Amino acid sequence: MRIASAWPAPAEFMMLLLLIGLLGCSAPATDFSQFEQEGSEVRVYEVFGMDCPGCHGGLEKLVNAIPGIRTSKANWEKQRLHVVLQPETQVDDSAIHDAIKRANFTPGKRIR
Amino acid sequence: MKTVILILVSLLLSTAWSDIAWATGISIDAGLTPPQNRWILRSQVRYMKRDHDPTPMQREMTSYLFPVVVAYGLRSDLTVMMRQIVRRNEMSMITGNSSQSGFADLLLMTKFRMLRINLPGYTLGVAPTIGLEMPIGAEAFSSNTWDLRLGCFVSGRIREWGFDCNLAYAWNGMIKTAGSNLDPGHEFSLEAALGVQIGLGKEALLAVAPVLETSYRRTRADVADGQKVNNTGESVFLLSPGIKLTRSSLIWEFLAQFPVWQKQEGEQLERAAALLAGVRFMY
Repeated sequence: MRIASAWPAPAEFMMLLLLIGLLGCSAPATDFSQFEQEGSEVRVYEVFGMDCPGCHGGLEKLVNAIPGIRTSKANWEKQRLHVVLQPETQVDDSAIHDAIKRANFTPGKRIR
Repeated sequence: MKTVILILVSLLLSTAWSDIAWATGISIDAGLTPPQNRWILRSQVRYMKRDHDPTPMQREMTSYLFPVVVAYGLRSDLTVMMRQIVRRNEMSMITGNSSQSGFADLLLMTKFRMLRINLPGYTLGVAPTIGLEMPIGAEAFSSNTWDLRLGCFVSGRIREWGFDCNLAYAWNGMIKTAGSNLDPGHEFSLEAALGVQIGLGKEALLAVAPVLETSYRRTRADVADGQKVNNTGESVFLLSPGIKLTRSSLIWEFLAQFPVWQKQEGEQLERAAALLAGVRFMY
């Protein structure tokens, strides 16, 4: 059997790409204003060093583990990290900067 | 739940494509150590073939490899990894066919962050590795020696472009097991990869990265009792186009590897094109 004959049919490959594309693009955009209406503070930080969507999870896992953090959402393309605090909670910027560094990224300025 | 479904789909796809795949892997982020407390599970299906027998025996060998790598970010600057390969070899020649299946040797490895610079639009990472391959595999696939593996990864990013360079050296036979008088040939490899990350969707939650890898690998001939062992040792230069799809905590990778130049010592079979399909889950 030659290698060439073992390649997947182009149609199968396109269907695979389509499936992955649909799964990837179907996620709704996060509405942070809803958190604010519920009394949560929403902060936005610059984060440098993320280069693909695979970077999001590792950073969010470390940030979400900080006491007082409700949730967080990173965006590699915009180089941003949205952090949502628990209502009536104070969290130091230094704790979030530390989590960003432990994810091997570099914190920039706090935008909001 | 959605993640679980995605993992199952990925594994099913890997299985369904198990007759097409191979290679060493798309290494476009190798110099960038993962975050602390990050788990990475990586699995591949590799398909390799050797043919063009220089003897009249019409030998051919087809190999299927299923490597599984588990990596963990012990600290932000230190990653520990473990790799195990399940392998199947199918040999054919003029006098008949045979096959062998089993575990290969276990590799334990650490990667250390030597340098990491993150600037707006630019990233540079350098990470040396040290690993030990333990001779616990099946008889047909074990080297029967403890092998030391040293390497250094360099990864850079310039906006959406990424490059990767990997220098590796394997001291095979560093510690021999009792009764072995064979000095297996050391291995040297230099690999370079270039890719571009294209974000898709409103929040770029999916990224597609076409990748081109080049590899030079040299394996010295084995030595026994001071004499070079016949039909061992090779040099090969490979060119490998591929594609990487990243969505959140999942990465799919596909690679075709073409030997554009090779020199096989003695009467060894030549490497043919090879294929790889893989999936990476990160938690």
